[in-house]
Amino acid sequence: MTQAALTVQDLHLSFLTDEGALPVLRGLSYTLSPGKILAVVGESGSGKTVHALSILNLLPPNARVDQGKILYQGKNLLSMKSSALRRVRGRKIAMIFQDPQASLNPVLTVGEQLIETLRAHKRISKKTARKQAAELLTKVGIEEAEKRLEEYPFQFSGGMCQRVMIAMALALSPDVLIADEPTTALDVTIQAQILRLIKELQQQSGMAAIFITHNLAVAAQVADEVLVLYAGQCMEQAPASRLFSHPLHPYTQGLLGSLASVERKEERLPAITGNPPRPGEILTGCPFAPRCSHALKKCFETCPPLYEKDGCKVRCFLQEGK
Amino acid sequence: MTAALVIENLHKTYVRKAWLGKRVEKPVLRGIDLTLEEGKVLGLVGESGCGKSTLCKVILGIEPITSGTVQVAGVNINGLSTAKWRDLRRKMQVVYQDPYASLDPRFTVRQLVSEPLDIHKLYMDKSARENYLRELLNSVQLDVAFLDRYPHEFSGGQRQRIAIARALALEPQILIADEPVSALDVSVQAQILNLLKDIAQKRQLSMLFVTHDFAVARFLCDDIAVMHQGKIVEYAPAEELFAQPRQAYTQKLLSAVPTVPRGAL
Ligand SMILES: Nc1ncnc2c1ncn2[C@@H]1O[C@H](COP(=O)(O)OP(=O)(O)OP(=O)(O)O)[C@@H](O)[C@H]1O
Ligand SMILES: Nc1ncnc2c1ncn2[C@@H]1O[C@H](COP(=O)(O)OP(=O)(O)OP(=O)(O)O)[C@@H](O)[C@H]1O
Ligand SMILES: [Mg+2]
Ligand SMILES: [Mg+2]
Repeated sequence: MTQAALTVQDLHLSFLTDEGALPVLRGLSYTLSPGKILAVVGESGSGKTVHALSILNLLPPNARVDQGKILYQGKNLLSMKSSALRRVRGRKIAMIFQDPQASLNPVLTVGEQLIETLRAHKRISKKTARKQAAELLTKVGIEEAEKRLEEYPFQFSGGMCQRVMIAMALALSPDVLIADEPTTALDVTIQAQILRLIKELQQQSGMAAIFITHNLAVAAQVADEVLVLYAGQCMEQAPASRLFSHPLHPYTQGLLGSLASVERKEERLPAITGNPPRPGEILTGCPFAPRCSHALKKCFETCPPLYEKDGCKVRCFLQEGK
Repeated sequence: MTAALVIENLHKTYVRKAWLGKRVEKPVLRGIDLTLEEGKVLGLVGESGCGKSTLCKVILGIEPITSGTVQVAGVNINGLSTAKWRDLRRKMQVVYQDPYASLDPRFTVRQLVSEPLDIHKLYMDKSARENYLRELLNSVQLDVAFLDRYPHEFSGGQRQRIAIARALALEPQILIADEPVSALDVSVQAQILNLLKDIAQKRQLSMLFVTHDFAVARFLCDDIAVMHQGKIVEYAPAEELFAQPRQAYTQKLLSAVPTVPRGAL
């Protein structure tokens, strides 16, 4: 059996706040297969970013990992020394952050930052690095790349900074790319271009990726597998084709059913009632039960386990014994 | 019949004073012609930065017109007196993208929704006011028990309902909605879209609905205007536009929209 590119095991994480410890991830588990793109979809606050930050130990100081492991090449990243982790970051596992403007250095030009990143990891001359940097910008759809290298991040729009970050991450040809909402701020045409680029890299270099998004259509475009996150738990994980054609969890079904379609006009959208749980809300039972039209009595009492079948995982009692 | 909004050859240029008193001009709206028919929902679709919000601000009188005309319910808004604006604002209300920023956290729902009524001295009788507020909350499917709570106690979707209730309080004829669902949780967007559709139909509202999402536009809008770099490049009945987009730019946008494969749902 081939080794997974990344494995997350029973990850529990909370934030220490004035109101006490707020649980955010509640036993998240999944595997990322080598060379595959796994889309992690979920609503705002479901824990997508926090989970991604935990992989490279980039969490804010008030976050606490209560339990769990994240395995990369047989080692637990959560207990790795910071010097060892630095060698993993960037070159092996690269990350594109949700907030691109904040992750670029405002006092260096875009060119300086790209060249520095390239030269920190590759033995190449400044001139070659410069040429590669320009090529990278062109690749992510930034015109007049040569000229743009001289500019500072504030002269770039949010979407352009995002693309610079993407260029930087891809420059290192990492084993694993973690991309947190990399196209959310972008227009559809550029989004399509970036998605193609990530797919291309996956095919050429065998890169695996965790692609975080709240947009199911984007996930459908890019992913081999999809993980549906709700209130810090995996509700369903399945191959993309399967998940979109036969969603098993009532939450996944509800979400897909409630989306407006560009292909036809609907008179009414079958909406899910209610609201997602608030951060730190005490949940007994299934977190989706209060909004679920199929909920049984026991759904409010105990949280269902992840039932596994044919490479799909579903956290729902309706799948018990199926 | 007068149209709800008639915009003719509208230009808007932002001017910034730069170094040494130099003026930096940024043309954003570059000759907009657009009509919102009475009782219709007009979708304004376009990519980030093309000028959608600027157009809304000009229509609402928040930003001055550079040149051209805007008529709201038959009234030319250029150089309108404060009193005339107040009359007009009774007929035209707005809902913004961010329900977190648009509601003052110091006020209860009751105060927030009552404020426009106070300004226009409507429903001043206590029990009539109370009945009206309840009716309003019902129309946006909010529990009347929420009246005395503060915005921070609500979820994003609930806050947007409050913002909609506030906008509807004066029974406007025209609603300007600038990306009203894009900041909401995915599982809540459909609730608000259904609500807006119901309200538009029931109240025969004329609505300018700004979005960058073609799927949402198709669901809600009768007509669609596609905006590109400060101009309207295509304007058509929604179903016509989706069946046969005529402009290359519209075609390009539509072909880039990612879709969810529809299975056995
Ligand atoms: N520094 C922090 N202190 C306290 N709570 C936090 C902190 N950062 C995040 N949280 C909480 O953790 C939860 C998960 O946040 P996270 O950023 O992972 O959500 P997300 O799924 O990425 O959402 P979005 O789609 O909005 O980016 C949220 O409820 C958030 O309020
Ligand atoms: N007050 C202002 N001063 C100067 N320029 C402005 C101002 N407000 C907006 N702009 C610029 O005008 C252009 C159009 O902005 P606008 O907010 O109208 O776009 P939009 O279509 O609403 O975009 P989005 O989809 O991102 O909301 C942008 O380039 C923006 O930077
Ligand atoms: Mg996030
Ligand atoms: Mg806008």
